[in-house]
Amino acid sequence: MGAGNQIVRSGTKLDKVLTIARHEYWVNVRRPDFIIVTLLVPALGLIALIASVFFGRQAGSAVVRLFDDGNQLTAIVDQSGRFTPILSRFGEEFIAYADEPAARAALEEETVARVVVVPATYPGQEDVRVISAGSRFSGSGTSGLRSFFMAHLVKEIEDAGLRERLLDPYDARVEYTSEEDQAEGGVAAQVLSYVVPILFAILLTITIFISSGYLIRSVAEEKSSRVIEIILSSVTPQQLLAGKVIGLGGLGLTQVFVWLASASGLGGGLALLAGIVLPFFTRGEVFALSLVYYILGYTVYAVLVGAIGTLGSNFQESQQISGIVTLVAAVPMMLLGVFFNNPDSILVRALSWFPLTAPTSMMLRLPLGEIPWVDVAVSIFGLLVTTPVIIWIGAKIFRLGMLMYGKRPGILELVRLLRHA
Amino acid sequence: MQRVWPKINSMEAPVLSARRLCKRYGSFVAVDDLTFDVYPGEIFGLLGPNGAGKTSTIRILMDIFKADSGEVELLGSPPGHSRERVGYLPEERGLYRDQRVMEVLVYLARLKGVDSATARARAEAWLERVELADWGDKRIKDLSRGMQQKVQFVASLVHDPDLLILDEPFQGLDPVNVELLKGLMRSQISEGKTIVLSAHQMNLVEELCDRILLINEGRAVLYGPLKQIKDDYAPNSVRVRAANLPDSLPGVASCERNGAEALLTLECIGAQDLLAMLVARNIEVESFEQAAVPLNDIFVAVVQGQNREE
Repeated sequence: MGAGNQIVRSGTKLDKVLTIARHEYWVNVRRPDFIIVTLLVPALGLIALIASVFFGRQAGSAVVRLFDDGNQLTAIVDQSGRFTPILSRFGEEFIAYADEPAARAALEEETVARVVVVPATYPGQEDVRVISAGSRFSGSGTSGLRSFFMAHLVKEIEDAGLRERLLDPYDARVEYTSEEDQAEGGVAAQVLSYVVPILFAILLTITIFISSGYLIRSVAEEKSSRVIEIILSSVTPQQLLAGKVIGLGGLGLTQVFVWLASASGLGGGLALLAGIVLPFFTRGEVFALSLVYYILGYTVYAVLVGAIGTLGSNFQESQQISGIVTLVAAVPMMLLGVFFNNPDSILVRALSWFPLTAPTSMMLRLPLGEIPWVDVAVSIFGLLVTTPVIIWIGAKIFRLGMLMYGKRPGILELVRLLRHA
Repeated sequence: MQRVWPKINSMEAPVLSARRLCKRYGSFVAVDDLTFDVYPGEIFGLLGPNGAGKTSTIRILMDIFKADSGEVELLGSPPGHSRERVGYLPEERGLYRDQRVMEVLVYLARLKGVDSATARARAEAWLERVELADWGDKRIKDLSRGMQQKVQFVASLVHDPDLLILDEPFQGLDPVNVELLKGLMRSQISEGKTIVLSAHQMNLVEELCDRILLINEGRAVLYGPLKQIKDDYAPNSVRVRAANLPDSLPGVASCERNGAEALLTLECIGAQDLLAMLVARNIEVESFEQAAVPLNDIFVAVVQGQNREE
């Protein structure tokens, strides 16, 4: 009865997991509803783009009218003689009028938006008067006048260097000593390096939910079509669960990738994609940790959702049961405000330590700045310890749930059954 | 009522051996101290009424459930270590409804460790044998129930297993397809494979099985070669067709007549002696055979008898 006559086959344990993963991926990626949902986002973007091309001009001018008074021309009634003739670079925005009544008439006719009367005593005590067509709420009334006045006044200074400096008194290069390794490239890049990782964290969290959704469905289908018993005669529940988690995780990533790629394609070339990727290169540790949390987080949720999903007798019921888990994962997302305003509060730290909320919490916190190393250590340690336990329990529930038909068990019954599984 | 015969064919090592298997679900005992062997090249019948524990036993063999106690050895190793060499057709069965026949068969073979090209070639050959060659590209849901059944049968042996466990393979098949399946099972045996068959159609079991195990309420009730069991249940009955058979004969307890044929229950006379006596009395015997009790009757008698005892 030796094992010497075993037929040589290629099926190692990992091969089986990968076979399942590939099968799950290819079967689901061709599903019409997956394709529709995946293409819906780019399609909506495309429709918006076409609409903006067709109606661009009208819509554009409508928007302009909404925020702009249309005519920004300023009438200058220069009684001092210092501001006429108007410097050519102000020619498009300023026009000289000989006297105030003429200028006011132009204002009435909406030829100009405001009238600026410079008194003959200028630069003496008498105020410059501004008569504006808008209301008190439509602006300060004096916007743009400072540079106009400065430009005309500095003409009179002979020292060219001083003239330059008066127009642009300092041209500073700022050095932040606490952010020496920060990305260069101005304010926009600085903001991007915070905002984009947060958006990315949210997006990745969403893929966890999307993929878990596919997982529930795949599990529920195999169970209700009763193909599961055939599958379980070939692979262990652990292998089946692992294969599904990997395959459908890939499916979720595919969807996100299509969305990102289409968004970047529609929204101005590769700018968006570069904007997303670049901050990660400049903050490598954020990227690396995000990846760690993503993988651990996805594994924990997918296994839990997949396992608990088997307890329902159909897709809807499975979805309801798994909803509880998903809700826990979503808690940090609901408390986004607390994370932004108070990233070091005890609530945020507690959520970072608890394994079920740790991945989402930490992915949200990472881009916000310095995180106590204790939090990183505790959360990763907690996840590393919890994940095998969850996989073990998950596979047990999975084995049990997959072969259980009919009534959904209560918690007590489940505990009892698990002891016998 | 429990009778367990010693195994007769102990020369060869069993393909499958179960020792004192027990499986409980809470307080319900599904499998109770079950011991049996299956030998290479035989069709072994695993019989029992609904809820007797057949499916639980099979699931333990397939490593889908763990036994609470007892030992199982399948092809020389514990359950789960030789999945690639075992084929299984479960009673609760189905296939991916939205996928294509060929795709499903190749996937299931891949899970048994067969490479894609071989899996495809074998699936094609088997579809041909079950007369579904043109259906490989169709989706499972477009197949009739009988066709799906045949695809499921193919799925259980597309990876060329040494041991085939078939749970109710004939359910829902028309007589033509029953014949087809019987032929395929026999051809597997002639190739040296072993089959464990669970079925409710006793006539088919009688026709196909070499040995059987009848279980009721988780326990073994009958176990051994089919012929020996039948002999045991009808030790002294003969069916005689003779023109002028007397109503009473010495040593014959009862005589049930059915036209020219009579079923005689013998009390203190052997079949050989009875025949000699008939010949000596110049009775024209047209046919004379040991009367076998249909397995169906044994099944019903044993199960009902046991249930009455409780």
